[in-house]
Amino acid sequence: MNRSLLILLGALALGAAIFAGSFFTARHTTMRCCENPADDLNWLRLEFHLGDAEMARIRELHAGYLAKCAELCTKIAAKKRELNPLVGAGTHLTTEAQAKLNEIAALRAQCQARMLEHFVAVSRAMPPEPGARYLAEMKKLTLGHHEQMEQSMSGDSGHEHQP
Amino acid sequence: MNPDDIKLQELLRGHRPMPALPPRFQQNVWRRIEDAEAPAQSASWLDALATLILRPRFALAAAAVLLLAGVSAGTLEGRQSAQHDARMNYLAAVAPDSAR
Repeated sequence: MNRSLLILLGALALGAAIFAGSFFTARHTTMRCCENPADDLNWLRLEFHLGDAEMARIRELHAGYLAKCAELCTKIAAKKRELNPLVGAGTHLTTEAQAKLNEIAALRAQCQARMLEHFVAVSRAMPPEPGARYLAEMKKLTLGHHEQMEQSMSGDSGHEHQP
Repeated sequence: MNPDDIKLQELLRGHRPMPALPPRFQQNVWRRIEDAEAPAQSASWLDALATLILRPRFALAAAAVLLLAGVSAGTLEGRQSAQHDARMNYLAAVAPDSAR
């Protein structure tokens, strides 16, 4: 093979190795430095650059919210277990099953209301600009979760239910 | 000098055959002389590139640029990944799927 071509290929391989090596080393180091999987609130500190006092207040709110959230989630899980045998075998939706679905929906609505209250409280514990950004982001990530599905099922997406 | 010798010499000169030169003879001679004196040119762009790569200054500069680019891109990517993972952790803690 031509000597010049060999030199060029060797240089390209070496260049790629230098770039890839430095890229993955820097990526790994940065991730290890910034990541803290044990702390659920690490994202708030990273994204909104909060101080220790703000983080301490948010930790308090978070701990209080988690207890309420866990209680509601346990109730939802229990209702779902009660619902399963009611819808499992039958070919039509019984009134008992419908009642259970309504109960689950009510619990979910309650849970969402608590969640929103918590987001508002956390946003107030932050400075105004990051607080507003946090609230908007959390609304989008939580309430917006259903919006895509609802939009795809509604006429807006061009899909229409037949009467 | 003997006058007979002079006559003989003129006779001989006139008798010597003078072949006709090929067309553009002189021009071709000069071109070949110039070609021979010109410095040897590199065979192709590939050779020129290989020569450039083998220069220590160029090689060091290229390695430094690649290293810097790799570190910058890796740091940016690592920060984004860490933020994404942290966001997912937070979201899983405050808004479990069953509540959304």
